[in-house]
Amino acid sequence: MSVTELKERHLAATETVNNLRERLKQRRRSLLDTDIAGYAASQGRTPVTFGPTDLVCCRTLQGHTGKVYSLDWTSEKNRIVSASQDGRLIVWNALTSQKTHAIKLPCAWVMTCAFSPTGQSVACGGLDSVCSIFNLNSPTDRDGNLAVSRMLSGHKGYVSSCQYVPDEDTHLITGSGDQTCVLWDITTGLRTSVFGGEFQSGHTADVLSISINGSNSRMFVSGSCDATARLWDTRVASRAVRTFHGHEGDVNSVKFFPDGNRFGTGSDDGTCRLFDIRTGHQLQVYHQQHGDNEAAHVTSIAFSISGRLLIAGYTNGACYVWDTLLAKVVLDLGSLQNTHEGRISCLGLSADGSALCTGSWDTNLKIWAFGGYRRVM
Amino acid sequence: MATPTLRSSSVPSLPPPSPKSPPEYPDLYGKRREAARVHMLEREITFLEEELKSVEGLQPASRCCEEIADYVMANSDPLLPSTKKNRRSCRFWKWLCGMPCFNLSWICCCCCCCEGLSLQLKLPRCCCDCKPCSCSCSCLPSINCSLPKWRCCCSCPKSQCCKESCGLGNCCTFPSSCNFGCPTCPSCPSCCSCKCTCTCSCPSCPKVSSCCCCTKSCWRPCCLCC
Repeated sequence: MSVTELKERHLAATETVNNLRERLKQRRRSLLDTDIAGYAASQGRTPVTFGPTDLVCCRTLQGHTGKVYSLDWTSEKNRIVSASQDGRLIVWNALTSQKTHAIKLPCAWVMTCAFSPTGQSVACGGLDSVCSIFNLNSPTDRDGNLAVSRMLSGHKGYVSSCQYVPDEDTHLITGSGDQTCVLWDITTGLRTSVFGGEFQSGHTADVLSISINGSNSRMFVSGSCDATARLWDTRVASRAVRTFHGHEGDVNSVKFFPDGNRFGTGSDDGTCRLFDIRTGHQLQVYHQQHGDNEAAHVTSIAFSISGRLLIAGYTNGACYVWDTLLAKVVLDLGSLQNTHEGRISCLGLSADGSALCTGSWDTNLKIWAFGGYRRVM
Repeated sequence: MATPTLRSSSVPSLPPPSPKSPPEYPDLYGKRREAARVHMLEREITFLEEELKSVEGLQPASRCCEEIADYVMANSDPLLPSTKKNRRSCRFWKWLCGMPCFNLSWICCCCCCCEGLSLQLKLPRCCCDCKPCSCSCSCLPSINCSLPKWRCCCSCPKSQCCKESCGLGNCCTFPSSCNFGCPTCPSCPSCCSCKCTCTCSCPSCPKVSSCCCCTKSCWRPCCLCC
């Protein structure tokens, strides 16, 4: 077949794809008979209400000298690892605010960090395109630095996100600026599977965030600069299980809903959205109108343990607590006393859901917990 | 305008520059690249057709919304102000109290000392083993709590956890003559007419007058800064 013929086929195929996408979109729209807020309102649900001292900052973790970019809790709840522009990972005891490890990184341009399920290792990645693993029990060298115990090399772009597979200290998934996600075998340091890529059905721009399903660790979701989120099955790397459209900007953050059947997204378009993984429906858009025309970008999101609250950090310093059912902002952590003085860049909930940690460009991390009077219903 | 004339008179005219592109190399891989792109699109068409078929049998969004609402309402949440359980959620308090007192900062003081005060934080039963006031960290009026609204927390509460472990010198600032009005109903919230005859002061609490002990009626027995 000549190049000219191939080009003609290419044009025809592109048109068919666009037609099919449009039909799919219309069909989906016909199934969207309501959203969560509409449904909850029809059921007579009322929004959560917070008093001014209900959710309070009870710890400020000070120690980084640069912007905090990423944080992760251990599964046993009281330790946190944070990654900063200062080129260090710090492991904190969240109860005492004490630092247990300060790890100077070989490459200072770190973007992401994660605790292993057992809490014995931490992983980080960044502009060096490598995911580095540190064993916290390893002896330190003469200068007090912890050596890298494993380097996972293979990405052709920066490592934007990483997360250990739940209950497995030996497997980890990374998302990268090379448009792919990779499942790694940490024991061998080799790639087990690559999700997406040049000639695969995957993201067509940088992957910014990943989240592994806590209920089924074979499934994970990725968010990308191509304005989509994709659901992947680790057993089938060749194509995404489903692609979720709707956002009009980079998808900066993805996080599974606690029930494992939905996930949330946060985007440069200023919205958070909730998608259903089984049906592909976009169930809700969480959007707050601001005074100015330019919407603040969503940098990071997390769900409370029941799923009732969606906490989202924004580039303008706001940190909204959304009522997921009513789609209303019920609190802005960014406006409370003792809050951060800069953008909240990352956030996460402790394993038992009783504390929220936020990391900020003001170099600090803060821990928030419920401190009010609890009403018994 | 004059310069070109001068230049043309002094410098022999040169032919205008005519940059040339390098000779075009044959795109040896162009055909394969194009074929790969077509192949990708054809695969995409197959996927989309499959998805279109699968969408036919999908449930409407309202079913998903119902599932979410049911899930959310069925699960308790330690970050929420209300709980469906009959027992109060104590995780936060345990989280704060289940550790050595010297590691706690002001919030240890506040969580244990504000009972009965203006903030009306109520210490759950589960926290009463923590004995945070047995250390010297808390409850002295000179300690300022970090949250301005909580500044007046530092007086001796009647909470059970302090009763056993705290001497007056440790966490209370009341003169020995301080007479709490309702000795017979230490935990009776209905003791609204509780009067206190003491004249203790709360110097760290700007909102409280020099006699902070029940100059007004208070709903809690022996409320100090009401």
